[in-house]
Amino acid sequence: MLGLAALIVAGSGASCSNDPYPPADVGEKILYSSFVEAPRTLDPAKAYTTVAHAITGAVYDTMLEYHFLKRPLELIPGLAVDLPERIELPDGRSRYVFELRRDLLFADDECFELSGEGRRTREVVARDVAFQLARIADPEVGSPVIEPFSNIEGFAAFGSRLMERREADPAFAAAPIHEQYEVLGGIPGVRVPASHVLEITLARPYPQIKYWFAMEFTTPVPWEAIAWYDGSEGRARFDDHPVGTGPFVLAEYDKQSRYVLEQSPNWYGVRHPEWKAPGGVFPSEGEIEDRLAGRLADAGKPLPFIDRVEVRREKESIPAFNKFLQGYYDASGIIKESFEKVVQEGRLSPDMAEKGIRLEESVSPDVFYIGFNMDDPVVGHAGGERSRKLRQAMSLVVDVEEFLRVFLNGRGVPAQSPLPPGIYGHDPDYRNPFRQVDLERAKALMVEAGYPRGIDPTTGDALELTFDTSATSTDGKQQIQFFTRAWAGLGIDVRIDQTNYNQFQEKIRNNAHQIFQFGWVADYPDAENFLFLLWSEMARSTSGGPNATNFSDPRFDELFLSIKARDDGPARMIEIREMLRILERERPWIELFHREDYTLHHAWVRNVKPMGLSLPTYQYRDVDPVLRAKRREQWNQPVLWPAWVVAIGAVALIVPGILTYWRERQ
Amino acid sequence: MAAYVVRRLLYGVGVVLGVLFLLFVLFFTVTEPDDIARKALGDKVPPAVIEQWKANHGYDRPLWPWQDWDDNLLFDHYRRMLTFDFGKSDADDSPILDRILDGIGPSLSLTVPLLLLSLLAAIPFSLLVAFFRETYIDRMGVFLCVLAMSVSMLLYIIGAQFLIGKVLRWYPISGFDPDPTMIWRFLALPLIVGVLGSIGGDVRFYRTVFLEESSRDFVRTARAKGASEARIMVRHVLRNAMIPILTQVVLSIPFLFTGSILLESFFGIPGLGSLTVDAIQGNDFSTLRTMVYIGSLLFIVGQIATDLSYGLVDPRVRFE
Repeated sequence: MLGLAALIVAGSGASCSNDPYPPADVGEKILYSSFVEAPRTLDPAKAYTTVAHAITGAVYDTMLEYHFLKRPLELIPGLAVDLPERIELPDGRSRYVFELRRDLLFADDECFELSGEGRRTREVVARDVAFQLARIADPEVGSPVIEPFSNIEGFAAFGSRLMERREADPAFAAAPIHEQYEVLGGIPGVRVPASHVLEITLARPYPQIKYWFAMEFTTPVPWEAIAWYDGSEGRARFDDHPVGTGPFVLAEYDKQSRYVLEQSPNWYGVRHPEWKAPGGVFPSEGEIEDRLAGRLADAGKPLPFIDRVEVRREKESIPAFNKFLQGYYDASGIIKESFEKVVQEGRLSPDMAEKGIRLEESVSPDVFYIGFNMDDPVVGHAGGERSRKLRQAMSLVVDVEEFLRVFLNGRGVPAQSPLPPGIYGHDPDYRNPFRQVDLERAKALMVEAGYPRGIDPTTGDALELTFDTSATSTDGKQQIQFFTRAWAGLGIDVRIDQTNYNQFQEKIRNNAHQIFQFGWVADYPDAENFLFLLWSEMARSTSGGPNATNFSDPRFDELFLSIKARDDGPARMIEIREMLRILERERPWIELFHREDYTLHHAWVRNVKPMGLSLPTYQYRDVDPVLRAKRREQWNQPVLWPAWVVAIGAVALIVPGILTYWRERQ
Repeated sequence: MAAYVVRRLLYGVGVVLGVLFLLFVLFFTVTEPDDIARKALGDKVPPAVIEQWKANHGYDRPLWPWQDWDDNLLFDHYRRMLTFDFGKSDADDSPILDRILDGIGPSLSLTVPLLLLSLLAAIPFSLLVAFFRETYIDRMGVFLCVLAMSVSMLLYIIGAQFLIGKVLRWYPISGFDPDPTMIWRFLALPLIVGVLGSIGGDVRFYRTVFLEESSRDFVRTARAKGASEARIMVRHVLRNAMIPILTQVVLSIPFLFTGSILLESFFGIPGLGSLTVDAIQGNDFSTLRTMVYIGSLLFIVGQIATDLSYGLVDPRVRFE
C-alpha cells in the first residue's frame, strides 16, 4: 500500500503540494489565521467568548474603542464623535451623552429590503444603539450582561414589562420585536433626543459603563437584520449572519471548517479617510517601544491594510503549529510540545529567529487563584483568627514560580493581588507578604492557629481538608497535587475530591466546597472588574454570583461601592490599596498567576501589538504577500526521492517472488 | 420472503424504540437540564438567563408522562426522533438536521473513496498472498498485516502528518476545501492513512476466506481441468468468497454516512464524525443524542440489508 501511495506521488511529480490554499490567492493581501472551536453565536447581545469576538469585533464597530498602541489601554472615539462627558444629576444619577458620526453606513445586506425596496444599506442612527440596548434588556434574547446594564435607569423594569405584556397580549407577542420595544416606549434611561444623539441615564454611579460602549454588546444593530434573519423560509439566523458597521464583513461562514472576513466598502474608514477619525487611521502616537519597533511607520494611514482574513478550523494544535512553521498561518501560539525548541532562555531560539519569526509577549488581564470557601467552618469566617492564620500559612507555602516552571513553561507572572499588570491599582513593586514562600513562618502561623505540625487538636491527627476539582486530565491532577504536597509540608492532609463538572458546580452552588481553583478574565481594564469577585453582593451561596469564596467584609464592601462609583484618581487609588490590604490579611484567595501570552508572527506580518482583552485588531495588521509567497516556496519544496525509493523497493520485492514462483511451477 | 422482511423490520422497530428509551435515560436523567444550560452558556451568566435558556429549549418541562401527560420530555423525545425533527443544538441553537445535512457531503467524500480504495487494495493484495501461499511473499504479507493491525490509528495519523505532511511536504497536513480542484489535495493524506489503518485486518480476513475457498473440491476440479492459477483465483475462488466480503461491505455502508471520527477530527474534515466529536467536547447533548440515534438506526438498517443481500448473491440462502 505504501508502495502504491509512493507510486502515486512519484507519478504525480510536480503537481503534489502541501499548500492548503488555492493558487489564485498567492500575492493577495490576505491574513491567514485559525480557530479551534466555532462560536456559539455571533449575536453581539450574546457573544461573550474570545472566539466569537474574533468575528464580532471585526464586523461590528462600537461607539468607543481602545487606542491600538497606548498602554494601559485608553479609550478613543469609534463611531462616536467624541468620548462622552458625564453629567451629574440629582439623587446620585448621572448621564452620558453620545453623539454618533453622520453618514455611517451598515454593511450591504439584503435585509434592508424591509425598509425600502431595492435598498442594500442605510445610515446608522442613534436608535440602532437604543434598539440593541433594548435587546440586551429583553430576557428572551438571553444576554449574559444584563447585570452591568441594570445600572441604566429603568433597564430591568423594561425587561419585566416586556415579558408581562407578552404573556398578557398574544398579538403584542407576535409583533416584530422592534415594534414591541416601541410600543413600550423603550428603556426610560435610554433616550434619543436627535437622530444622532444617544443619552444614557444611570440610576446610580457606574463610570465603568463607558467600557461597555467599547464592547460589541452596544454596537448599533439594524432592526431589519433581526426581523429578516429569523431562521425561517431558508433564511439564516441572526446568530450566524451578522450585519454591522465594522471594517470587515463576514463573507463566508462555515462553522465546521472556515470563515472569511472581507474588507467592507461601507466602513467609514474606507469611505471617509479625510475624516482622519481616531478609529479609522493608524495611530500617530504610541509608546517609546512602538517607535523602536517601527510600529509608527504607518501613522496616519487609512485603515484597513488587508483585503481579507481567511480563518481555517484547526481542532488539533500540532497540525496548526506545523502549518504555521510551513508559512501557511501568519501567527500562532506556542504548543507545549515545542516550547523548548521555540523559546530558549526566555528568547526566541536561533532556528526560529533565522526564519524571521518574531515573538510577542503580553500579560493577559486575568488572574488564577486558589479560593477558600469562607462559609466553611474550618477555613472560613466562622473560624475567626484561627482560620485566618491557617489560610495565611497555606498561602505562604505555595511556590507559584515553581508551579509556572513545571506546568506552564514559565508562561505567567506570579500574582501578588487580584489585579494584573496594566490595570489601574496594580503596583509592580508590591510584594504580598503572604505570597513569598516562607515555610518557617508558615509553620509558626500553624502553631498560632492551633495546628502545631498540622495536627488537629480535636482529632489528634493531621488536619484534613478537601480540595474540590473537576479536573480530569493528568496535567490537571498533577497541578492540584503540587498544591497538596506543599500543604503536606505543614502537616495538613488535603484530600482531592475529584468530581465531574456538574457535580463540582453543584457543590459550589450548594456551598459544599472547601478549597478550589478558579480563574477570571477581565471584560474591561478596570480594577472593579476584578474586585467585584470578592464583593459580598456577588456571593455564590446567596446570589449565585461569581464570588465563589463567599467572602464578606463590611469594609471591603464599603470601599468596593466607593471605587465602583469613582473615576480613576488618587482617592480611588487609596481605596483600592486599602482593599488589597484587606485581601492580603484575610486571604480568601491564594493568588497564583496572571497568564503570559507568547505569540509568534512571521516576518511578513506587520503592526502587531497584543491588546490583552479579546479585541481583534485585523484592521491594523498588514502583510507583505510577496515575501510570504517567496518564503512558502522556499520552505515547502516537496521531497520526492522517498517516493521513488519506496516504489522501486516494492517492485524489487514482488518481482523476484513472481519470477521464482513461475520458475518453480514450470 | 415478504414475511421475513416484515418480521425483520418489526424487530428493528422494537430495537429502535428501546434505543430511544436508553438514550432518554442517559441524556435526561443522568444529566440535569440545569447542567446542560450551564455548560452551554458558561459560568458567567446570571440564573435568569439559565432559566430563559431552559425555557427556549423546552428543558423546563417535566421528564415523565405521569408528571404531565400532555407535555413531558419523554413523549417529546420520541416524537422528535421518530419524525426526524431533531430540534436545536444545545451549543449554538442551530437546527441539528441542517448540521447533519451539511456534514454528510464531506463525510461521504472521505468514506466512499476510502471504502473503495480499501477494497481495491485489500482484495488484490489478499489474492496475491493467497496465490503465493507458503512462499516468502505470503509470510512477509502476513507479517506486514499483523504489524499494520498492531499499530494504533492515532499513530498512523500523527506519523503520516509528520512524515508525509511536514517532512516530505506532499500534501497539506490538515484541512478541507470542497472545491473539486482542491478536494483531492486534502483527501490524499486521510485516504492513505485510512487504507493503511484498515488493510492489515482486511487482508488477513480475505486471505483466510480465499484460502478456505481454494481448498474446496471445485477448485481441485478446475485445477485438474488445467485452468490457470490466476483464472482459478479470480473466476472461482473470488466469486465464491463474495458472501463474507459482501457482509463486511454492506455492514459498513450505513457507517459511511456517520463519517470517520478520528480521521475527520485530526484532518479537519467537517463531516459527521467531526460533528460528533464537537458535540462530545462541547457538551452539545441534543446533537450527541441525535448522532447516537442515527448511528443505531443505520446499524439496524445495515443488519437487515445484509441479511437480505445474502439471498441475492447466494441462491442457497432461503428466508424462513
